[in-house]
Amino acid sequence: MEVYGKEKDLNAFFGLVSERQERVKQASPLPDMEDPIGDLSRMLHPEGIQLVVSAVREETPSVKTFRLEPAAGSGIGLPVFRPGQYVSLKAKIGDAWITRPYSISSSSCDALSSGYYELTIQKKEGGFLTGHIWDLWKNGTVVDMSGPHGNFYYDSLRDSLDIVAIAGGTGITPIRSMVREMFAGDLDMRITLLYGIRTPDCAVFSKEFDMYAAREPERFRVVYVCSESDNTWRGPSGFITASCITENTGDVKGKTFFVCGPREMYRFLDRELEALDIPRRRIRQEASGEPFDVTSEPEFPGETKDRTFSVVVRMGNKVRTISAKGVDTVLVSLEKAGIGPDSQCRAGECGMCRSLLMSGDVFVLPDGDGRRAADKKFGYIHPCSSYPLSDLEIRIPLTGGVVAGGNGGSSGILTREGQRYE
Amino acid sequence: MNKNIKSNLHFDSYYDAVVIGAGNGGLSAALQLSLDNAKVLLLEQHNLPGGFATSFVRGRFEFEPSLHELSNVGSEQDKGFMRKFLQDKGGVDVEFMPVPEAYHLILSDEGVNIKIPFGIEKFTDTIAAAVPGSRKSIERYMQTCRETLGAIGYISRMNGMPDPKVLMDEYPSFMVTAGYTAKQVTDTFGIPDRALDMIYPYWCYLGIPVNRLSFTIWALVLYNYILKGAYIPRHTSHGMSAAIDARIRELGGRTEYSTRVTKILVEDGRVAGVETAAGERIGTDYVIANLSPNVVYGRLVDDRRKVPEDAYRLVNARKIGASAFVVYLGLDASPDELGIESYGYFIGASMDTGKAYDNYFTFEAPEMQAAICLNRAIPDCSPPGTTIVSMTALAGPDTWKDVRPENYVRFKQEFAKVMIDQFSEALGSPLSDHIEEIEIATPQTFARYTGAFKGSIYAYEQDPWDSVVARSMSRPQEQFIKGLDFAGGFASIGHGYESSFLSGRIAAQMAMKKITR
Repeated sequence: MEVYGKEKDLNAFFGLVSERQERVKQASPLPDMEDPIGDLSRMLHPEGIQLVVSAVREETPSVKTFRLEPAAGSGIGLPVFRPGQYVSLKAKIGDAWITRPYSISSSSCDALSSGYYELTIQKKEGGFLTGHIWDLWKNGTVVDMSGPHGNFYYDSLRDSLDIVAIAGGTGITPIRSMVREMFAGDLDMRITLLYGIRTPDCAVFSKEFDMYAAREPERFRVVYVCSESDNTWRGPSGFITASCITENTGDVKGKTFFVCGPREMYRFLDRELEALDIPRRRIRQEASGEPFDVTSEPEFPGETKDRTFSVVVRMGNKVRTISAKGVDTVLVSLEKAGIGPDSQCRAGECGMCRSLLMSGDVFVLPDGDGRRAADKKFGYIHPCSSYPLSDLEIRIPLTGGVVAGGNGGSSGILTREGQRYE
Repeated sequence: MNKNIKSNLHFDSYYDAVVIGAGNGGLSAALQLSLDNAKVLLLEQHNLPGGFATSFVRGRFEFEPSLHELSNVGSEQDKGFMRKFLQDKGGVDVEFMPVPEAYHLILSDEGVNIKIPFGIEKFTDTIAAAVPGSRKSIERYMQTCRETLGAIGYISRMNGMPDPKVLMDEYPSFMVTAGYTAKQVTDTFGIPDRALDMIYPYWCYLGIPVNRLSFTIWALVLYNYILKGAYIPRHTSHGMSAAIDARIRELGGRTEYSTRVTKILVEDGRVAGVETAAGERIGTDYVIANLSPNVVYGRLVDDRRKVPEDAYRLVNARKIGASAFVVYLGLDASPDELGIESYGYFIGASMDTGKAYDNYFTFEAPEMQAAICLNRAIPDCSPPGTTIVSMTALAGPDTWKDVRPENYVRFKQEFAKVMIDQFSEALGSPLSDHIEEIEIATPQTFARYTGAFKGSIYAYEQDPWDSVVARSMSRPQEQFIKGLDFAGGFASIGHGYESSFLSGRIAAQMAMKKITR
């Protein structure tokens, strides 16, 4: 066979290497590491950010909003995000490195134009981290966290322009971010907010919501639904039921629901929304996170609730044996031992803490099983949503935590012992 | 080995070989080394194996991020390299599911809407029936492509270092075509334009227009694909990556994730070890890098003065290939309800590869897409009554460089909408009423998860002078640092899943020849 004549063809063939050599000779001998795509990636998704508390605002007696900004002169740009996303706080308490996800309650526009994030945090009785935040976060406190993450956000290609937001308690924080973003002009939609509160005085951001509702009632409405109302309360009371939803939002057809609140609210709302026959794609629900008390989860096998198991933990060549309570997630037990792998969502969703279960059994929260199909096949677990049912042997990834000697965070912003750790 | 390397917390102080990066090339190299009983350490910066060969979960859907079709798997009766290497030799617990047809081509300006089947005869018959008078030229063409395949088999058997004389004597049509582009060779066959439109769609998996693309690599990829059919792993490509990782560990190899190598230690012109981000130093005489030479020479070798100037010149002479823009949809209706009958679609106005390339390498909405309906190969890949569709366009590695973070989402949405509308119109299937989950990947996304330089998924472009032929023949003089080799798209065979597996295995076999235990 010939293409353009044998001689020409073979010259072309043998010319490949000489052409290559010629091109190499002509090229610059200096390394060129310019990578604008990598730069964009690091701006959007930095591995971690360090911010400083610049203001503290008391919203209610048990809820505070902390404003966080890059330290002056640090040159850190605050990543923009999709309103509704969270950051994962990283803190050292005693020997324990822990993480906690918190939705950013300010908007991405706030980050872009005014250079801050706000985190709105409720003090929980017996809560491990919130008490410390409450006592110790003051102006100037340095805080380590991940970049923004999570899938609870409005998407114009997927969601309706008509939004019904249902929030319970501090589940209001991602919704507030969306509302602020909408009014800053970057989200083109209409929101009806059903805001479930326990008592009349515990609504957070109500002044701001009322102001927006008065300003543009056709774009934003807010209805406070009080579960423990008193005789001064004039709004709807009780829980947010199917009829409460239809009374306040009209026809639900074609609307997208954003739901964020405690686990108990999800369990209740699941039935109510089912009664309204809303297609699954129209319901966006934020991940539930760790139950405060797993024994109250209907699927939890009760027999291990008082037991403590032994867990052999392999990290690289190191092996340690730790104890793990049946009511604690494997991640919590690892953190208590000071060897937590890095984690973010703490809801089984993001897979950051993915670890190999070499032996033993775990209970995985049904709504927290975000594992890949092959990971189930090859024995991986997400320790943040897994509870020991027997003694375990696991292999955890190296990064995070003090044992990895790496990027666990700064020098320890919280120093006192935690309430749930002896 | 460097005598100054101290023992450390998490690793042994010495490994026969350290593989950096657990993409397909790295996994393949580590698997081959473990099969050969080498003491191997595979390190990966991400928390998962696979690189692009991974998956992600949104709601009730698990998405395949990158793989459309895996070539050279072959059936149980007629096994290809992938099946032989992974299942038979490797003992890897991976299940392959057949892809039903080669592709479904829809060209709106040309009035083309045709399903192209696998099998050389059926392929030829189908196009010949659609374009009368094209049969003879297509048959001759496919015959030439077949000889190329034979030659590449020989090159592979020679571990990428063929003897030019053997090539000349035994594979004559390989030699006379290898110096040319796909277009230069194809044009001499007199294939009617309309038939060429039906033959060329697969160009987009090679990423440069046919007037630049090496004929050899084109012929190899086309022929192999049509001849052996295609498969995809049962549980996405993460299923394959996780299975290989499990097998490497079973064979005594060591894999570690979330562990970034920040330095390759070089002493007296040869590899002495690596250093991780946590500062741990690990001794080795052989490093196989499953990442870009740009990054290895520019950032990883512990001192730039240890890198010969020619290494930088070579890197700078080459052109970094395409990244991708991908829309992933989880839909709340079945493929039948949505009117999606085929597995893989090419959808565009025409089959002008130069025009499509120019569009991809400009910052504008893609005009041509390769769409996949995963359920048509794996019916239960998503819950009953749902469908997974992905739509892929190429994107020049720098096309997103001027996008500011605050505009990033808006551009993603704009481009994605154009692709969803194009798909919906071509198939008469209004997807936008059924979107339950949507995710959009850009070059930034690929950079974010894999660390790929400029987000490129196609490594270096494969012009004839940088094709598998030129790369293989130049291999000895391009070994700039002793003990340092490459696997994956940047290595000798070029990009793509199968090529990366091949190059990883070759790198491992070359290292094995020198490893003394």
